[in-house]
Amino acid sequence: MDEPESLRSKVAELMTAGAAARQRGEEIVAEQHFGEAFELAMKAANVLQPASNPARVDILHIATRLALECGDVAKAERIVDETDSMELSTAAREEWRRFRNKTEWPDAWLIAAVRRDPPNERALDILAERHWKALFGRCQLLTLNPHKANDLGQEAWCRVLRARRTLKPGGNLPAYLATVATNLWRDRNRSARRAGPLAEERLLALDAPLPDEQGQTVLGEVLPDLNALESHEQAMLAIDIDKAMERLSPRLRDVLVARYLIGESCAEIGERYGRTEQTISSWVRAGTREMRLYFEERDRAEEGNLTR
Amino acid sequence: MKPQLPVEQLLRWRLARAEAEAPPAPRGAQLLELVRPWWETWPERFQRLAGRLSQLDVAYGHAMADSRRTPIEHPVPVMIVRDSSEAESSARVLYFNIRDKQLRLRFQLSTSPDMSELAYEATFVSRSTSKPLFSSSAQRSANGDYSITEGLSAELVEKWSSLKVTDEMPFRLILRPLDGSS
Repeated sequence: MDEPESLRSKVAELMTAGAAARQRGEEIVAEQHFGEAFELAMKAANVLQPASNPARVDILHIATRLALECGDVAKAERIVDETDSMELSTAAREEWRRFRNKTEWPDAWLIAAVRRDPPNERALDILAERHWKALFGRCQLLTLNPHKANDLGQEAWCRVLRARRTLKPGGNLPAYLATVATNLWRDRNRSARRAGPLAEERLLALDAPLPDEQGQTVLGEVLPDLNALESHEQAMLAIDIDKAMERLSPRLRDVLVARYLIGESCAEIGERYGRTEQTISSWVRAGTREMRLYFEERDRAEEGNLTR
Repeated sequence: MKPQLPVEQLLRWRLARAEAEAPPAPRGAQLLELVRPWWETWPERFQRLAGRLSQLDVAYGHAMADSRRTPIEHPVPVMIVRDSSEAESSARVLYFNIRDKQLRLRFQLSTSPDMSELAYEATFVSRSTSKPLFSSSAQRSANGDYSITEGLSAELVEKWSSLKVTDEMPFRLILRPLDGSS
């Protein structure tokens, strides 16, 4: 007969193996290990009596975690419901309360719940809510239009959900969403660019190095603490940045976002575009130069208005 | 002299502002409705089409046995579904490869070129269970072939990884023109 301690030790081994498999991205193996560990944990819990035996409550706690690692929300909730009738310490009660509150769940549990058939809608609600602002922000900087950004963000989510079985609970969901959105946007612009010889010509001209640009490019007319600006000034500045970005071809905009917001190196960007690091570096400088020109023109226009 | 700021900082500030001004996140139910596959919306239609694909499979099997065609040719039964019509067809698999959990498939339809669309939504139907597996977009190339690149579930990767282009494919296809592709 399996003793609770022996079962518990097997559970621990399987949990470690499951976590390692998840880390390697082998989700089927991970789920198998977690699933087996769950069954053993429940077996151990059934052996231990009475119902509120601390060792039993402890193994039930582990079983609940395992159910959530597999995305089986219903099983986890059944165990949590069972503990309602048990006499638990305040600290233990608080621990169990966390299982109920999905907004406190880590991404891994929520993703595992979304991967299942049917996907857990509440888990998806929380994931969408949790990562929406960052996704929308990225889309806004690419599309420069809030409606298009909203559509692009939503489309990125749809792409991810259509292939939700391939989602990795151990992966970085916000980064993945941002990549999907950026790829969608790039795909759209790629066809537009192919269609527009002028745009291509413009980009080719930008391949040429710009010897007058050295080091970090700065824009004039901007206060150091932007958040200290009056709200109407902030609104105007946001419009100006969008206008400056609008002057750039989609490819240059993409390169600036990749370089400055995603933090990709010029070599990494170059690999994607099939260009040298030097070329990308010149694109980055060209992009910033173009933005600077916009601000300089705006300043001149404002000064002209003042002296008139 | 006026103070100045690097582009990076400016873009980061704009990003933070955009994030702060984000509209409400889409609801889970709304997203799931958007990605709900057509076979769940119209299960009867899917069942009927899957049934016709099975019959086509049998018919191709008989035709292969009757003719002296080389056994390495395994046409994939295809149903092409438009709003008002359904047409039987078959696909010859020209390329089949799974790498990095991505399926890369190229096929040629037996349908005459004037019937073909620029892009289809291709629904993969299991040959053994007649159940839908997944759907993907199939894009027509300049020479009239269609190509698909799609991420597969770990389960399908495991099952399909050893398949060769000359093998009998474990799926049948239902093709529906993608909006605006004709």
